[in-house]
Amino acid sequence: MSRPRTGRARTAFEMGLREYARTPVLLALLVFLPAYFVGVLVFLLPESSVPVEVAGRGTVAVPSSELYGILLVPLVSGLVGGVAGLFLMLAARSADGRLVVAGYRPVELLVARVGLLAVAGAVAAVVSLGVLSVEVVPERLGWFALASVLAGVTYGLVGTLAGLVLSRLAGVYLLLFAPMVDVFFFQNPMVSDPHWLAAYLPGHFATEVAVDAGLSASVALEPLGWAVAYLATVGVVTAVAYYRTMRIG
Amino acid sequence: MPESANPATGAGRASRLRRLRVGVASHVRAFVRTPLNVALLVVLPVVVVEGYGTAMSAFPQLPHLAGGTMAETGRVNGAIYAAAFLAGILGLFQSISAVQADERLRICGYDRAELFASRLASVVLGSTLVAGVSTAALWRSVELAAPTAAFGALTLAALIYGLVGMLVGAVLPRALEGSLVLVFLVDLDDFLSSGLLDVESPVLKLLPLHYPHDLFQSATFEGSVATGDALLGAAYLGGVFLLALGVYVRVTGEGGVLA
Repeated sequence: MSRPRTGRARTAFEMGLREYARTPVLLALLVFLPAYFVGVLVFLLPESSVPVEVAGRGTVAVPSSELYGILLVPLVSGLVGGVAGLFLMLAARSADGRLVVAGYRPVELLVARVGLLAVAGAVAAVVSLGVLSVEVVPERLGWFALASVLAGVTYGLVGTLAGLVLSRLAGVYLLLFAPMVDVFFFQNPMVSDPHWLAAYLPGHFATEVAVDAGLSASVALEPLGWAVAYLATVGVVTAVAYYRTMRIG
Repeated sequence: MPESANPATGAGRASRLRRLRVGVASHVRAFVRTPLNVALLVVLPVVVVEGYGTAMSAFPQLPHLAGGTMAETGRVNGAIYAAAFLAGILGLFQSISAVQADERLRICGYDRAELFASRLASVVLGSTLVAGVSTAALWRSVELAAPTAAFGALTLAALIYGLVGMLVGAVLPRALEGSLVLVFLVDLDDFLSSGLLDVESPVLKLLPLHYPHDLFQSATFEGSVATGDALLGAAYLGGVFLLALGVYVRVTGEGGVLA
């Protein structure tokens, strides 16, 4: 008798988690690097005020350390999620092909892989948030954490997609560059008239929610809905690419 | 065993040079065998330079920034970032793919100096290439006051990060973990060295991009070469070189693992 689908997806997810747990260097880096990145920057960032656009508050002056602290958490989640998604897919692609031959459905494997990405994104977000909280506490902590994890999972799926279509070197190039330019430059709330391209980038809606939740007491639900819709769209594109790979494999 | 494979049997200088040339040629062939890698080396600096320039053109003018407009400053930062991170990733993967293979070559009779020189020559070649492409990408839209000095500063940045990448790859010879370390290192360094933030801290002088960045900015906007920055940047490069050499010697004597 075949196992139910949820059971098989859970087994694949647990195996992935065990693989992470068997790599203590990776676990240590997933905790240490975000903490170091956010810790060093929050310590060094100047206190001088900069004008930013905040939903519900208009243009307000906030300390640079607070603004960049708030931007750093979704950025770190995006970096960790993206690189993790890329390598997860590069490592799993051939094994997943064999699992499909053995009876697994691609959707079960994809659910398990996305679950692992969510874990990586959540770990990066929680660690970054913990370090950030020493100096800067976001106004709406729960919404801020949710937005950061959304940024991590969205970039995780972008990384997964890159792992399906690009080589390791090309994928690392992409995932090193994209979150930094997207979150730090294109989504920076210091910009009052953003470039049209900013609205189409993976970090747009998640960063908008993170900035709102970090700097104001009101969080608009519309960008949150768009962030989820963007995630779903990238998820569908990734699923189609994944299915094609499994079919060919 | 043929003479060329065993330096211990008295292979001369010409033989060493030939082996070095063969080593570098094989590394280059391994890289260009994936045309996408080559295409990205050319395309990415253009994308990064234009991406930074476009994104920063919408920023309000920051009072502490000297030099050109925000778009020009963005392009300058993009060029140095592209040169550093591309060379860093090249060095990382060069080192990861090399460590265990070189250990086996050493058992076959190659000496460590030859092996290290061949890896280093590949990284120097790659660093010079990405610095050249980044300079050209920048020159399309920003008038360079001293193009040769600007290319020199970018080459310095790329060489430092090429060696840092080799070092990371030797200490942590795993693609995912090494890439994560390099991602955070380059981003943190670029973020703080760019001058976009008005940060005053002695810590900044320890960052790999600090001196190349100052050199690059003065060459681009003022047409001058800051001798002090050039000397300190060269000293930094020398320090990273010695560190990379030391770690490489250790790992090729210990089965490819840092003992």
